[in-house]
Amino acid sequence: MLEILKKTKIDFIGKRYYAFAISGILVIFGLAAFIAIFLGKADLGIDFAGGTMMQGYFEQEVTIGELRDAMSRNGYDDAFIQSLHREVPHYFMIRVKTTAEDVTQIAQGMLDVLEKEFPGNKFHKDSVDGIGPSVGKTLQKQARLAVLIALAGILFYIWIRFDFRFGVAATITTLHDVLLVLGILFILQREVTLLIVTALLTLAGYSLNDTVVLFDRVRENLKLFRKKGDFASTINASINEVLSRTIITSLTTFLVVFILFLVGGEVVHDFALALMLGIIIGSYSSIFVASPIILEWEKRSPRRFK
Amino acid sequence: MTQKTRSYLTLLIVFLILASLWYLYPSVKLWTMPQSKKEHLKSTEPQDLIELEKKALSLGLDLKGGMHVVLEVDQSKLKEGEKRDAVDRALEIIRNRVDQFGVAEPLIQKQGGDRIIVELPGLEEVDRAQALIGQTAQLEFKLLESGENTEIVLKKIDEVLAAKEETPFDEEEKEPVASTEAEEKKKAEEKKKIAKDLFATEEPESVSDTTDTSSFLEEDEDEYYTERPFTSLLENMGGYYLGVPIENKAKVELFLKDPDVQAVIPEDDEFAFATRTEIIQRLEYQKLYLLKKRMEFSGKYLVDARPLARDEYGKAYVNFKLTKEGGRKFARLTGANIKKPLAIILDGRVESAPEIQSKIRDEGRITMGGAATFDEAVDLSIVLRAGALPAPVKIIENRVIGPSLGQDSIRKGTTSAIVGFCVVLLFMAIYYKLSGVIADFAVLLNLVFLMAAMAALDATLTLPGIAGIILTVGMAVDANVLIFERIREEVRTGKTVRAAIDAGYKRALSAIIDANITTLITAAVLFQFGTGPIKGFAVALSLGVAISLFTAVVITRVIFEIRKGYRTLSI
Repeated sequence: MLEILKKTKIDFIGKRYYAFAISGILVIFGLAAFIAIFLGKADLGIDFAGGTMMQGYFEQEVTIGELRDAMSRNGYDDAFIQSLHREVPHYFMIRVKTTAEDVTQIAQGMLDVLEKEFPGNKFHKDSVDGIGPSVGKTLQKQARLAVLIALAGILFYIWIRFDFRFGVAATITTLHDVLLVLGILFILQREVTLLIVTALLTLAGYSLNDTVVLFDRVRENLKLFRKKGDFASTINASINEVLSRTIITSLTTFLVVFILFLVGGEVVHDFALALMLGIIIGSYSSIFVASPIILEWEKRSPRRFK
Repeated sequence: MTQKTRSYLTLLIVFLILASLWYLYPSVKLWTMPQSKKEHLKSTEPQDLIELEKKALSLGLDLKGGMHVVLEVDQSKLKEGEKRDAVDRALEIIRNRVDQFGVAEPLIQKQGGDRIIVELPGLEEVDRAQALIGQTAQLEFKLLESGENTEIVLKKIDEVLAAKEETPFDEEEKEPVASTEAEEKKKAEEKKKIAKDLFATEEPESVSDTTDTSSFLEEDEDEYYTERPFTSLLENMGGYYLGVPIENKAKVELFLKDPDVQAVIPEDDEFAFATRTEIIQRLEYQKLYLLKKRMEFSGKYLVDARPLARDEYGKAYVNFKLTKEGGRKFARLTGANIKKPLAIILDGRVESAPEIQSKIRDEGRITMGGAATFDEAVDLSIVLRAGALPAPVKIIENRVIGPSLGQDSIRKGTTSAIVGFCVVLLFMAIYYKLSGVIADFAVLLNLVFLMAAMAALDATLTLPGIAGIILTVGMAVDANVLIFERIREEVRTGKTVRAAIDAGYKRALSAIIDANITTLITAAVLFQFGTGPIKGFAVALSLGVAISLFTAVVITRVIFEIRKGYRTLSI
């Protein structure tokens, strides 16, 4: 039998206060990001904010600096420019948040600037993403609704699946996971796009996985340990028992997402990043957030082994 | 699990595998077809290629390339009464224009109160399409070419094309044509039958002034098709219009684009298709007209047009009103052309070609053909008003995915899927040995079932959809890891192989279901609210997760059942 982990006896519960500190700080960032998004102040992608993104290539060499200067000389101060690796050389992505109700005008305006600034070096546009402000608003509304409904659905499932205390703990853990990923993305200054929202919702559903497995074991052990041992050691034992499971189940999913992150290309890059973070945090939180909540609750109002 | 259940399940699994292969076959055939063969098929049998593309798993815009635009109909400048069907008018105009691009699966849809979504997958003439969609509608009235002249033009086209056929391009291209000759003949035979049937019945809308066409059918039948490559694709010739069976349409268009064919069409004539197809004798046709190029009358003189319900004779009407100036012009036009058909053309396509009954001044009535429904009268009046009252549209969302970006996404998506898949397979085989290989087999089936289900359900594969498939692979083995870890624990406590397997599956099941249900909830929400690419993700993920319940739990179980008799377990 090949094993990554032999039988462990780590005192996870004893380290819960460190975990609370780390989680607390990151959750604050997450909340800040969350509030900023709802107020429309965060760094929203053009999906939500409106704007135009253009991809294409120049016939001859152009540096990012030249391109940036050219754009800002013509009123596109906020242009975001990235050089991309494609089969054709001199391939760039240019993104501006300027919007107008008729979005084809923006793209045409950008093309005109490039033609004027780089005479004799034609820019061939490959793809365009132009989103008018009203469409951005619609998408924002839809995303907000989707987040609320998905969270409500998951929470509802948790409530019917667990008893009260486990239910509350699982709920807090789920929210914690989503907020933590959002917080880290906020620190990394990633834009919030439709795909990021998709990733957050997906991991809200997925990160529960580890908590469910752990809680199942805790409940099983609570029955066994009914007569001997205290609550903290029961939980600790349960965590140690399922540790290899927790790690390996997350590992397979993590591996595929990691590969997607590495070779999937820039379209799904941040999406994969969010999922990777979510998978790690989901495992972490089942051990350091979900279980300690049960423990602290039990300590304050014992209802032990009902 | 009893012996009986096991046999039933095995049968079910075999059946599912066969069904999946059946559904996947067109996709594999299409995706492995070399580009040169595709091009060849496109120029010889375009309909076959379209059929194949329809059956294969369709790729989303982000992979295939193409255009997705959302238009907003600007009603701010319209008066209260004019707003009534402004969006419908715009929709009608856009549908008509988009049709001309011959895109395989265009999507034109109303969204909310005043938005229209237009999706043209695989389109390359993006700039032209955008310019065309944003344009104001062109409503024109033109006279048709006479039956005799039409026949002369057709004869010339046949001659030109027949001469071309005799001097085939080169050996390579000739071969596939030869191999399908028998098939061609059969098809031709069928067509002849249909043509005869058609002529046997009375055509309600055809006009008395038709030339005798029976001679076409009495000639030597074998020569008929080689001598008339063009007219053999048409039916009901000699009237004011030509019927093009829908399966021939692509070929007819191809022929008409041929420069040699264009050279024999008189300078002041032009061919134009009807806007819509129609069903005659259970076969789908699109009418083709030979028009006189000169614009006799313009839509700008129209003031209003309204449909009228069917009267006691079963006829539906459209009443229209013209401006004073328009009335004078129209009277001159109609007075000089009584008993001749007048084509109503929206953006280059013939909406209708009613026969002029009498001199019309500033108010007239179009009597719809015998079988026309009230809805068709409504449509025609919308078209007439669209010419009179074009509601301006603006593009508020514009996504163009160039073919090179799509190709890049396909390559990167497939690479990550293949690499991820192999890593997971390898990991499972090493870590869980033979049991891992069983799980690998289950994941492989999961992938096959998933792709087949997507093809069968007409779902669209997008880049996030590929990510969803990748995620499914990770999650599907998750379930097996849960089961195997549990079995290992049971083995450690000293249970027999049989008992350990039973306990492992039983105890892991609830955790597996929990994880999958929450994932399904999110996927359902994403499907409801997501845009195209994200819908693709939601579909792939939810189908994958649901299928994984079967493959990871049921299929591996069936295999394990067989191994229950063993003393030791390779896990």
